Amino acid sequence: MSIEPTNLTAQLHHRAAGNPPSTLPDSAISNCFPGLEFDFRNVWRRLLEGIVLHEASGFVVGAESPHERLAGRYLLSVAGFPTLMEVRNPNGDAQGSTFMEWSNALADVVALHSGEPVPCVFFDPQNPDADPETVQLSVRAMFVPSEATDGSTAAIGEELVQPGELTQSLCSPWQNDYQECGCYYWAASRPDYVNVEHTATGAIGNNWLARSRDPKRYDVPNLTHEELFREWEDLLRFIVGGQDAQ
Amino acid sequence: MRSELLAQSAPLSADAHLVDSGEGLHLLIPNGNRLYEIDADVHARIDRLLRAGDETGVTALLEDLGVDAPRYVDDNPPHEPPVRALSLAVAQKCNLGCSYCYAEGGSFGGPATSMALQTALASVDLLFGDVHAGERVNLSFLGGEPLLNRAVIHAATQRALQIAAERGAQVTFSITTNGTQLTPSDGEFFEQHGFAVTVSLDGPGAVHDRLRPFRSGRGSYDRVIARVVPLLERQRRMQVSARVTVTPHNLDLKETLDAFVALGFHSVGFSPLLHAPTGQHELDGAGLEAMLEEMVRCGAEFERRVIAGERYPFANAVNAMREIHRGTHRPYPCGAGAGYFGVSAEGELAACHRFVGDEAGALGDLAGGVDRERQARWLSERHVHRQEPCRSCWARYMCGGGCHHEVIARDRPACGYIRGWLHWCIGTYARLSQRRPDYFAAGP
Repeated sequence: MSIEPTNLTAQLHHRAAGNPPSTLPDSAISNCFPGLEFDFRNVWRRLLEGIVLHEASGFVVGAESPHERLAGRYLLSVAGFPTLMEVRNPNGDAQGSTFMEWSNALADVVALHSGEPVPCVFFDPQNPDADPETVQLSVRAMFVPSEATDGSTAAIGEELVQPGELTQSLCSPWQNDYQECGCYYWAASRPDYVNVEHTATGAIGNNWLARSRDPKRYDVPNLTHEELFREWEDLLRFIVGGQDAQ
Repeated sequence: MRSELLAQSAPLSADAHLVDSGEGLHLLIPNGNRLYEIDADVHARIDRLLRAGDETGVTALLEDLGVDAPRYVDDNPPHEPPVRALSLAVAQKCNLGCSYCYAEGGSFGGPATSMALQTALASVDLLFGDVHAGERVNLSFLGGEPLLNRAVIHAATQRALQIAAERGAQVTFSITTNGTQLTPSDGEFFEQHGFAVTVSLDGPGAVHDRLRPFRSGRGSYDRVIARVVPLLERQRRMQVSARVTVTPHNLDLKETLDAFVALGFHSVGFSPLLHAPTGQHELDGAGLEAMLEEMVRCGAEFERRVIAGERYPFANAVNAMREIHRGTHRPYPCGAGAGYFGVSAEGELAACHRFVGDEAGALGDLAGGVDRERQARWLSERHVHRQEPCRSCWARYMCGGGCHHEVIARDRPACGYIRGWLHWCIGTYARLSQRRPDYFAAGP
């Protein structure tokens, strides 16, 4: 039996044979839990004018004039709010410190100081004995203001993220999670069972990670993580312009 | 041929409809108006189930094929939708005497009246009531013959432009006219503001004159054409279209279409006359079958021209191709009584321009705004899930249940015609999407 989508609603609802409903755009986990289709941590990286932070720590990955010297340092606090917190084990023993997730560390800064310069304290790992330096940096507005809504909107300010940055830390083909997340998990908006044909004795098809498509069966040796990291463009057999790339 | 098309388009199931385009076999799933190309095996299985009336079997097979889906359209009407389009009956009077007119000579069965300036301006204020930056509204002028009250059209247009500029909103304008009153300065005004101008024309020459005479009985065609042609020549921003009301007396649609396309109309569309207050010239079953045959003739020419890469603005086909391609699925035939209202000369809100002065479609007034209670009842009762026999028809989310005004007045005499035309259009779409995918890639 063959059935192929023709018009746009049919194309949007296309579910590759043998795959679960969660591979459809409207039932994928990313549609049920808004936010999982991009990595929200990235909107915090450019909150402070002049520097770019790592999405998961206070490490300064980039800095513009006149703050070039801040690149490579660690941000310890903003407007008096610490970015680090002490970690203790269940026995109460000190285990060092860790950076808080940005939404926890900087929510108050956004609420109280958007558009204002605030004192930011930096630690220089190249010079660990020096006192941390305090620098005044302005806090960017996180959301686009709108007169129509008498205030803020849910739209993220353009200065906060560059094109591509919202998705750059998701599980991409060259990343570990791409293989770990099967089609039942949010990160995998793709089928696991491909080139499926119906036969009198059941369906036959390829495992999407099969090293070879011949024989056409699911339980065959798979690509390894390392093979994917190194050669994902060739091994994943992308369809480009309607043609199998391989 | 016509009876064949009627048989092929018969409503065998609410959940599936088969179309043989001659070049392929196709399955339309009304839930989402999704269209699929299928092989002979799938076609035979579904065909067997449809002919046996086995709805359970159809459902099971769609599940097996992996094309079952949650309901795209639920039973709930939209809740207090914002006003986004108004048509102003600026002149409830007319200089023509068309015997089939739904407005009964333009005055909707009452005395001839004109909309006062303040009423028109208050309408514009209602239209922009809760419009924010970036949103778009439409203001249209109808009647009767709207150009009998030109000054109010100009004032309302200027007011709308002013408010739109203040709000950062967009406003588009349209007017439906009999064409007899058009002047060069009207053309200039419409061009300046990008009006969509619809001219009612029922065919070339004597065909039009018979159906759309002046009140004196004299034909109006020569006058209309003399006035419209200068507008056709200066179309840049404005779009001047012809709208043909089809009766038993003007069924040569292909000739009419070609004549009006040759004149330079932006588009030409046909609507069957299903209900006239006088009962005159309504199409009966045989008339609708004849119209379907003519529509197919026009549709075949449209297909040939598209394949040849030529422009052929047969509005019914152009619109059908766009909607089928998108898979548009809707529980109403139009926005009447939801985001769209007609405003009478006296400032009453009606479900649309046709319901002016009609209690059945009364939904508030300018002073009190939309009567939300009546609107909720209207939207609930008019939902296609509440209509019979629509609930069991494959075309229900394409047709939306048919024009409310006609259905309330005359029930649904045209279902066979509508299904036959849509069935034909699905086949045309399937062929064109193979032969001229670029036609759809451009996003018509």
